[in-house]
Amino acid sequence: MTPLEYAVVGLVLVGLFFSFVAVVGIIRLPDLYTRAHATSKSDTLGTVLSLGGVALLFGAEVSGVKTVLLLLFMLITNPTAAHAIARAAHDQGIEPWTKSDEEGE
Amino acid sequence: MSESSARILVPVGESSTFRNTVAYAVREARRVASETGEEATVHFVYPVRWQLVDEREQSVAEEVAETLDKARVWATDDLDYDDDGELASEDVPVSIETAVIGEDRYLFSPGDFATVLLDYAADRELDRIIVDPEYRPGGSAPMLQPLELELARSDLLVEEAPVERVVERSRLPSRANVSKAVTMFAGSFTFYLLLAGVFDTFNLVTGAVSAGIVTAVFSRITFVNTPDASRFVVRTVRFLLYVPYLLWEILKANLSVAYIILHPDLPIEPEMQRFRAAIWGDLSVTTLANSITLTPGTLTVDMERDSLVIHSLTQSSRDGLEEGALERAVRFVFYGRSAARLPSPAERGAISSLPTTDDTEEDA
Repeated sequence: MTPLEYAVVGLVLVGLFFSFVAVVGIIRLPDLYTRAHATSKSDTLGTVLSLGGVALLFGAEVSGVKTVLLLLFMLITNPTAAHAIARAAHDQGIEPWTKSDEEGE
Repeated sequence: MSESSARILVPVGESSTFRNTVAYAVREARRVASETGEEATVHFVYPVRWQLVDEREQSVAEEVAETLDKARVWATDDLDYDDDGELASEDVPVSIETAVIGEDRYLFSPGDFATVLLDYAADRELDRIIVDPEYRPGGSAPMLQPLELELARSDLLVEEAPVERVVERSRLPSRANVSKAVTMFAGSFTFYLLLAGVFDTFNLVTGAVSAGIVTAVFSRITFVNTPDASRFVVRTVRFLLYVPYLLWEILKANLSVAYIILHPDLPIEPEMQRFRAAIWGDLSVTTLANSITLTPGTLTVDMERDSLVIHSLTQSSRDGLEEGALERAVRFVFYGRSAARLPSPAERGAISSLPTTDDTEEDA
């Protein structure tokens, strides 16, 4: 394997790790807002790293540039989407989970 | 409304509902005066922003005078005729005054506007303020709601004129001009060719047609202000400095969130907070809100005018927010180095925790 391939595999693996963390977070965290943390952060980084690996593999050609564009749009739209969902919940008056909720149960 | 008064103060500025607000204020003054026998007076005042006076003194002064004249003419018109267009009885006179206020001060925050308005009201013994629902004292910066909150802290009666509002969308498109069109066309054409990847005649022609259509439809919506090449370059350079910093913060955020999520005890203490960012303008607030969402344990939930509602996952993420490093970085991108030196949110007292309904129930 060339160093480039190592880098690509490394990026994709780290990306996979963060995507995995996002999934675990969605399952484990207690409410919508905290779950939005998992999706907006871990998922964004996971996708961006994997796409970064793909872009490296393509190199400096059209597909590579397109992948970088895709990556940038993910970076912009993912937190926006998380914000939209959280905001909708906030508008609906959904109360965020707090430490005291856990103790109450 | 038993607590109404016939001594009314109306802050004015150009808006789509300006005309109707004037009508409402005059009608109210006359109605209350005829009920209570008070001496009715309506003062239309124009608070001047110092930036405007500084830069384009002459034209702004004319604009202000014109606006106040309009208010006076309309008000006098309304006093002669009632709703049916018939001459109303003249037994309840309403005196109309106009004034420019705040010339000698720096009006910047909603609090400043409220202070000059309240001072004026106190001087003239006015005890009721009617606000135009489309009133925009801060230009494009949203300021009406915080202004009303500040005004409501006094013991004056504050209300929004119940006038019909034009749908907000109709105000969105700004005036078209050449530089907007050129920027838009160049941007979309480049993007099209980038996606096409091949620069042959077919792509050039279809790209030009598509970019033309996009320009015709969207150039008035995409840019509110005329694009300024030098400012754009400066901001882009600063933004490129910001990106590595943001990426580093994102990485840290992810490691800490990953640690929390994978930790067997799930050590979280979520809390909602309100954060009044010292940042103005649509694009910069959007950048800040998105950056906050991407970085350590904080998520922008809502934006209410100038304040952000932020959900934070842990105490350490709240501490990070209070230090305000991100806010400072965004300010640097949009306003330059001097603006980055403002005090941190914690020092300004810009962060307050948002009570949940659980808390309020406990208080009650």
